[in-house]
Amino acid sequence: MIKVFLSIVTKELLDFLRSWGLVVLVLYSFTLDVYIAGGGMQIEPRNVSVGYVDYTGGGISQKILSHLHEPEFLTPKMFLSQRELSKAIFNKEIMVGIIFDQEFEKNYRNKKEATIDVLLDATAASQSFTTLSYLQNIVLNFSKLNIPIDIDIHKLFNPNSDEHSFMALSELLSVITMLSILLPAIVFVREKEEGTWDIMLLMPINPKITILAKSFSQVIIIVAGVMITVGLVLFNGFNLPMNGSFLAFLLLTFFYAFTSAGIGLFIASVSKSMMQTAQLSMLIMMPLIFLSGAWTPVYAMHPILEKLSLLSPLRYYIEGCESIFFRGTDFVDLWHYFAGVLILGSILYWYGFRKIGKLF
Amino acid sequence: MNIGVIKAYILKEFKELIRTRMIFIVYAIPIIVIVLFGYGIKLDVTHSRVLIIDNDQSKLSRELIEKFKHSKYFNATELNISESKALKLIKQAKKDAVIIIPNSFEKRLIKNQKVNIGVFIDGSFPNRARTIENYIEGVIIDDLQSYAPKTSISTNVININPRSLFNQAMRDEDAIVPGLIGFVLLVAPAVLSALLIVKEKEEGTIFNFYASPISKEDFLIAKLTPPFILHSLNIFILFLIAVYLFNVPFRGSFTLYWFSSELYILISLAIGLLVSVVTRSQIVALVLTVVITVLPGFLYSGMIMPISSMSQESYIEAHMFPVMYYNHIIYDTFLIGEGLNSRKIILYLIILTIYASVLFILGRLFLKKELKK
Repeated sequence: MIKVFLSIVTKELLDFLRSWGLVVLVLYSFTLDVYIAGGGMQIEPRNVSVGYVDYTGGGISQKILSHLHEPEFLTPKMFLSQRELSKAIFNKEIMVGIIFDQEFEKNYRNKKEATIDVLLDATAASQSFTTLSYLQNIVLNFSKLNIPIDIDIHKLFNPNSDEHSFMALSELLSVITMLSILLPAIVFVREKEEGTWDIMLLMPINPKITILAKSFSQVIIIVAGVMITVGLVLFNGFNLPMNGSFLAFLLLTFFYAFTSAGIGLFIASVSKSMMQTAQLSMLIMMPLIFLSGAWTPVYAMHPILEKLSLLSPLRYYIEGCESIFFRGTDFVDLWHYFAGVLILGSILYWYGFRKIGKLF
Repeated sequence: MNIGVIKAYILKEFKELIRTRMIFIVYAIPIIVIVLFGYGIKLDVTHSRVLIIDNDQSKLSRELIEKFKHSKYFNATELNISESKALKLIKQAKKDAVIIIPNSFEKRLIKNQKVNIGVFIDGSFPNRARTIENYIEGVIIDDLQSYAPKTSISTNVININPRSLFNQAMRDEDAIVPGLIGFVLLVAPAVLSALLIVKEKEEGTIFNFYASPISKEDFLIAKLTPPFILHSLNIFILFLIAVYLFNVPFRGSFTLYWFSSELYILISLAIGLLVSVVTRSQIVALVLTVVITVLPGFLYSGMIMPISSMSQESYIEAHMFPVMYYNHIIYDTFLIGEGLNSRKIILYLIILTIYASVLFILGRLFLKKELKK
C-alpha cells in the first residue's frame, strides 16, 4: 500500500522535474514574482502631483501646503486661476487641486468656519481616497492644537505600516492558490486525455490511493516552493515578522495545498480536455484569488458575496496566515481556519473519488 | 493568401470550439468576473469593526459613541471588558480597532484639561489600518468640535470641501468596473489562444499543417479569427453590464472604445499565440499564460494601485504590460470623455498598435513549418 503510494509520488515528482519549462516557471513564481510584487507595490499614495490656487495671499494657506511633502506628494505647483487648474487635472498632469478662496483666511482668523475646496481626480479613486484622508489629517492637526485632547494611537503587529512584507505575503498566497489548483488539475486531465487514466483504474490498486498520491506529489512541490519563498524572499528580503508559530503556518499551508489540489481534482473530473481545464480553472481561480479577503476585507463586501466566500478555502487560509505572521494568534484560536480548510477539502475529495475514481 | 483554404480552416476551428462547449465558457468567464468583482472589490474602508470601551459612562462619552455608531465607516459595538480581553479580540481577528475612553473624560474636558483617548488598531493590513486611523481621529475631533462653545474651548475650524471630478459620487463601481474590462479582455482571449497551437503539437495533428500547402500567415489568420470574432462580442456585453448593471457613466466616444478594445483583444490573442508557439506542452503553455496575464493584469490595471505611485521595478514592469495603456483609454472613454483630443491617448493607441504588430511578427517568426530536430 505505502509502497504503491510512494512509487506514484516519485513518478509524478520525476515527471515534474523532467519538464524543465515547468520547473523554471514554478521557481519564477515563487521567487522573483513575489519579490517584484513585494518590492514595488504600494497602495499608499506616492508622488501625488498637487496644484493649488491661492486667492488669500499666503499665510495659513502656505502653512497647510508645507505639510504636503515627499515622498507622498510632489512639491505643490501654483496656478493663477481655477480654470487653469481644472485644465491641468483634465490632462492628468495634476491629481489633486486645492483652492483657497478669498474668505478663507478671514474666516479662519475670525474663528468662523473656513472652507478649502479640493478637486480630486477620482479616476484614480484609491489615491484620491487616501490623499483626501491625508489632507483631512493635516487640517485636523491644525485645529487640534486648541483642543485638550490627545489621541493615543497604537498600531499593533505592524507598527510602521510596512506594506512591502504585506504585499509580498498576499502575492505569495495568490501564487500558492494558482499553482496548487493548476498543477494537480493538469496532472489528472493529462492522463485522462492520453487515455492512461483508464489503465490506472484497471490496475489492481485502489483508485483512491492513486488520486491521493498524485495530489500529494503536487502538494510536495507547492510546500517546497513555499519554504523557498518564506525563507529566501519573505524573511530575508522583506523582514516579514513572525509572531506566531511557524509549525502552524506549515501545517495550514499543507492542508490548504491539499484542499486546492481538491479543487484541481474537481476541475479535472468535470472537464474532458486540457482546453476545458484551462478555461474552467480560470473561472474558479480568479474569483477565489481576488475575493477571498486579500484586497477587500470580506465583511465589507456585498452580503451575498460575503456568504459565498465561506465556500472559498482561501478565505480561511488568508486570515489564518495573517493571524500567524502578524497577529501572532495562539494555536488554539486558529482552529476554525483549519476546520474550514479541512471540511472543504474533504467534500472536494469525496466528489473527486466518486467522479473519476471508477471506470464506469 | 488562399481564401478557400483559410475559410475551410476557420470553419474547422469554429466547429471545434462549439463542439467542445468552449463557446459557453468564452462568454461565461468575462461576465462572471466583472459581476463578481464589480460587487466584491471595495476601495473605501467601510464597516470596520470597532469596539469601544467606555470607562466614563457620561453624557459626553455616550454621545461620542453614538457618533461612531451612526457612521457608515464603522460597525461600532460597546462592551465593558478589560483592555487585555479587548486586545485578544483583535488578535483573533474579530475586531479591527479598540477605542478606550478614560474614566474622567467628561470632567477633564469641561475643565479644559488634557484627555487621553487610547486607540488600538490592527495593523496587519497596512493601508486599511492607516485609513481607519484617520477616520477614527476624524470622528473624535469632529465630535469634540461641536462641544467647543459649551466647554469654553477655542477652536479654529477648517472644513475640507472635496469635489471629485469625473466620478462625482466617488463610487467604487465607477473606479473599478472599467478597469475590470481591461483585466478580463487581457486574460480570457490569451488563455483561449494559448492552447490552440500547442494542443495540435501535443496531439500530433500539427503534421496536417506541416504537410498542407497552407502558408504560415494563412494558418495564423485561420487560427485566430474564430477566437477574435467570439471575443469581439464580449466588448459589447461588458459595455452593457458596465453601463446598465453598474450604472457607470459613459462620456466618451463609443467608436474609440470599440476600436481600442478590438486592438486590445488582438494583443491578448497574440500573447497567447506567442506562448502557444514557443512552448511544447499544454501544461507549460497554460501555466505561463496564467503567470503573465492574471496577476500583472490585476496589479498593473491601476484599479488598486495607481501606476504613478509604484517604485522602480514595478513601475518599469507596469509599462511592459499592455493593460496600463488600454486602461488609460478605457477610463477616459467611460469617465472623462477627452477622447482623441488628448495627446496621451493617441500616443497610447500608437503604442498598443506597435505592441500588437511586434507580438504577431514574433509569433510568425517562431512558428515552424517543419519538424524540429
